[in-house]
Amino acid sequence: MEIVKTENLVKIYQDNGVPVEALKMINLSVSKGEYVVIAGPSGSGKTTLLNLLGALDKPTKGKIYFEGEDITLKEKSDLAKIRLHKLGFIFQAYNLIPVLSAIENIEFSMMLLGIPEKERKEKALSLMDELGIKELADKRPNEMSGGQQQRVAVTRAIVNNPSLVLADEPTANLDSVTAGHLLDLMERMNAEKNITFIFSSHDRQVIDRAKRLIILKDGLIES
Amino acid sequence: MLLKLAWRNTWRNKRRSIITLAAIVFATVMAIAMRGIQLGTYTLNIRSVVELFSGYLQIQDKRFLDNPSLASSFVVDKNITGALKTTKGALAYAPRIYADGLISFKDNSRGVAIFGVEPEREKDVTTFIKNINSGRFFISDSSNQIVVGEQLLKNLDANIGDEIVLLAQCYDGTLGNQKYKVVGTVKLGVQELESSVIFMGLKSAQSLLSMGSRVSVVAVKTNGLTHLAEINRSLSAKIENANLNVLSWNKINPELEQAIQLDNVSGILFLGILIVIVAFGILNTVLMSVVERFREFGVVLAIGMPQLSLTYLVYIETFIITVIGLIVGNILGCIANYYLIVYPITFGGEIKKLYEIYHFLPQLKSTLNPSIFISVSFLILIISVLSCLYPAYKVYKLEALKGIRHT
Ligand SMILES: Nc1ncnc2c1ncn2[C@@H]1O[C@H](COP(=O)(O)OP(=O)(O)O)[C@@H](O)[C@H]1O
Ligand SMILES: [Mg+2]
Repeated sequence: MEIVKTENLVKIYQDNGVPVEALKMINLSVSKGEYVVIAGPSGSGKTTLLNLLGALDKPTKGKIYFEGEDITLKEKSDLAKIRLHKLGFIFQAYNLIPVLSAIENIEFSMMLLGIPEKERKEKALSLMDELGIKELADKRPNEMSGGQQQRVAVTRAIVNNPSLVLADEPTANLDSVTAGHLLDLMERMNAEKNITFIFSSHDRQVIDRAKRLIILKDGLIES
Repeated sequence: MLLKLAWRNTWRNKRRSIITLAAIVFATVMAIAMRGIQLGTYTLNIRSVVELFSGYLQIQDKRFLDNPSLASSFVVDKNITGALKTTKGALAYAPRIYADGLISFKDNSRGVAIFGVEPEREKDVTTFIKNINSGRFFISDSSNQIVVGEQLLKNLDANIGDEIVLLAQCYDGTLGNQKYKVVGTVKLGVQELESSVIFMGLKSAQSLLSMGSRVSVVAVKTNGLTHLAEINRSLSAKIENANLNVLSWNKINPELEQAIQLDNVSGILFLGILIVIVAFGILNTVLMSVVERFREFGVVLAIGMPQLSLTYLVYIETFIITVIGLIVGNILGCIANYYLIVYPITFGGEIKKLYEIYHFLPQLKSTLNPSIFISVSFLILIISVLSCLYPAYKVYKLEALKGIRHT
């Protein structure tokens, strides 16, 4: 089943009146259960593409279909609903709400779905247990290492069983060992729970372990 | 959970929250103390003026306010005395005659206001009888004795014990005149009054003015200002004579009410300035705390938090600080006002003179009237909601991506 598909996608930013062609003509289709890495040098358009796939931004031209539905022209609030119900996000850093503990951060996205407190707690705890980060439950983000924070972020991203998890350079701020652990985790979730992952990276290790690799260069898919 | 989040966010930047809190507490206390002093002092002054002479209520003929002549006099019948006795909150009453006359002593003559009163009744209604400066008050019904304003006696070049002559137009239009003995002087605090008043027994006045048993007004003492409107209504309802009116202190002393209204406006103006300062304080801190967190807000918007919930969160945060500020402010304001009730500020010197021009007591007293606390709290709450509008709007318009990029 096709999760997300783009058709002749173009994104042109206006940088102080100067047009910047970040994406030139992207045609891409990702199916359920895929594990896709978008690689490419800095400035090649990785973040731009992920933002479009994640309904965070609108394309200049072309179309984006999410689960077969054209989301290109949807309202801001409808896009927010799609993100809440269907997508999970992991950013490079500062993913977590600083005043909430790890478990509360995970509960937060369930709260947005209106899941009652007891159920939230149980689910968050069991998922943390499954991912081996149960001991982080009551820690605040500033009491955790970068790698620990990213694992909590992964947990939060998958807790609502999204159709697709998008991660923009999730390992960029981690050392290679920690990055490896995070990759293990995501691969496991992909394999065990059949969660679809698309993430960007210019990290060798990540690229080597990709099941499907898309290389971007100057806003175009190179391979 | 949103509440928990808001609560923790509130204490995230402790210094800033405490400064905001302090501003709200300060404004609340200032506003409560100031309004307390104003309203407390008004009550004090109303009471002292009203209890000095006018009475809280007066029964008058409808024409009397515009035309205080003997023609607007009336008879205190059983219906009126019955109404006064049965009205709850009406404690005592005193019938009076107000008339104009001419006083002569040797070659000196002066125009005077003649007040015919019953001392036994007046002492339960008003306090001016206690303001005898020298000599004594006349004893009721002892005809031909009068008490004179202190300054008037000086102006006439007369002394206590002297005999003076009073000339006045009677109820029936003829001229009445009579000799009287000055038995005392009275001090009323106000020069113009002291140089033009004389008091005599009600019966003496009635006979001088050929009024039979008619009177000009009946002054009524009530159990204070709080229930005055109610007492007025119930007394009015019982009086059958359609020509009569029951007037409250503000109708009897319009100058006093005007002076109070004027002062009140200045107080409200000051309150307004205070409020504007607080409003900008809140606006500033909330805006700062919001802009600082744009990245964080960007992330929660990205994961699908509705824009409105985020805006709501910012509101709860402000609300928490405001409510804490109001609670502390109300407690401190309560203490401040209580202190000023127990230990009122008393002025001397120039300020005292200034106050006396306005017939005010040279004293500041407060009140614990709950309406002050409620209205001040409500006002500050509204202000905090309003000053939060702009930051909240910024959050409402924030795009997830702009937030994430924001550094
Ligand atoms: N908001 C923006 N405004 C203007 N130009 C932008 C903006 N975001 C990205 N760009 C430009 O678009 C191109 C692609 O950027 P980006 O998608 O961030 O690449 P990557 O994530 O691969 O480093 C770059 O040239 C970048 O400068
Ligand atoms: Mg990037």
